[in-house]
Amino acid sequence: MITARDLQISKLKAGSSPKLGTIGYLAIFIWSVVTVMVTPARLLPWAAALCLLAAALIYPRSFQRLLRWRWLLMIILLALPSVFFVGALDRSMAGIRYSSEGLTTAVQIVARILVVLVSVEGFTSSVDISSVGGLLERVGLRGLGFSIGVALNLLPTLQQSALNAWRSLWMRGGLRKKRWRGLRLLIMTILSNALGRAEEIALAAEARAYTPERSRALPVKVGRWDRMVVVLCATGLVVAVLTPFI
Amino acid sequence: MKHTTRELATLAVFGALWGVVEISLGSVLKTLNIPFSGVVLSSIGLTIALVGRVFVPKKGSTLFIGVIATLLKLFSIGGVIIGPMVGILTEALVAEIVLSISGKPKQSTHILAGALGVAWVLLQPFVTGPLLFGRTVFVVWLDLIDQGARYLGLNAAAAVWILVIFLVVYLVIGALVGWLAWGIARQLQIRQGRSLTVA
Repeated sequence: MITARDLQISKLKAGSSPKLGTIGYLAIFIWSVVTVMVTPARLLPWAAALCLLAAALIYPRSFQRLLRWRWLLMIILLALPSVFFVGALDRSMAGIRYSSEGLTTAVQIVARILVVLVSVEGFTSSVDISSVGGLLERVGLRGLGFSIGVALNLLPTLQQSALNAWRSLWMRGGLRKKRWRGLRLLIMTILSNALGRAEEIALAAEARAYTPERSRALPVKVGRWDRMVVVLCATGLVVAVLTPFI
Repeated sequence: MKHTTRELATLAVFGALWGVVEISLGSVLKTLNIPFSGVVLSSIGLTIALVGRVFVPKKGSTLFIGVIATLLKLFSIGGVIIGPMVGILTEALVAEIVLSISGKPKQSTHILAGALGVAWVLLQPFVTGPLLFGRTVFVVWLDLIDQGARYLGLNAAAAVWILVIFLVVYLVIGALVGWLAWGIARQLQIRQGRSLTVA
């Protein structure tokens, strides 16, 4: 079952500097991802190294998760085909022919994947979901903070409710005959329960005089270094975007 | 984009449902590396989002549901893979654009939104592969052809046919998703004694 522990709801974990707030972390995340996306291939190793160095300084723990077999396998699966299918097979190792051009491409792919994974992992482990909700509320998605809060609290209930409906259908042989109808009824039951929950939540919120127009957006954590980090990241982004034209 | 409390709660519930599917079923399917898991997930997700749109027939509500599901996926344990997040958000965006153009909820636009949303699953690797992971379009194309040759039993030389067959299959699945969502929404509204927003 999905519990509150499965979702990183509220945190300021060790390894994340209290000097940085949500905007600072977001700026670093955007800078890292966009930089590896737009940097030309010849400069990519340098750009990736810079991004990984920044990640190591700001959220060193983000590297730990990447050491899992799952991620390593994914990286290999994404990078390996290039070694054999991109460019001419001009080199050989242990009797296996491979392409030097493909190998270069594979190294670039690995660099990009590493940066993207570390950036996402670092960002999500340093910032809490309500801060991101608050940030999005400020850019036009009004009421998102309320909805995120409701969604977070509902996750375990909805999952349990869906599981109960599935088990009931399964145990009563609902999928033995007329499977399509059974599945349709399953979806109907799950959605019907969910709508019932929505009704209850809306009533409870209205009873507490909640209105989206009058509510304040969720607070966004502000760090002392945020402005400086935003300026640095913006400068870095401009440099990364302009580099191909120089 | 202004919503009432009731609408926000409804959108939250539909977003949470999509999130539950992505977090639980999505993680299992991706870990087991089951083929076409993207189609399964996007079909279920879009069904939820399209039903949600009928209950909150306002511009931006489908995207809103998608944003909630994306955030839940982003902050879930083991949710580091950026592909599904981009997928959820883009599918919601595609459906939102189609539904917003037509204005009032209609069965035909639901079918089109579902079809295009699921078809995005086929096109997504061509966008995220080169942009995020630096894979060349050629390698992504080879992967697709290889997959087609394996599952359709066609010769890899018939690359265009593989692509066309895949595209048609995805569009048909998506159209079914739209049609199913429309029917479910209608039945739900009848069951709950709500005024019908779907004709």
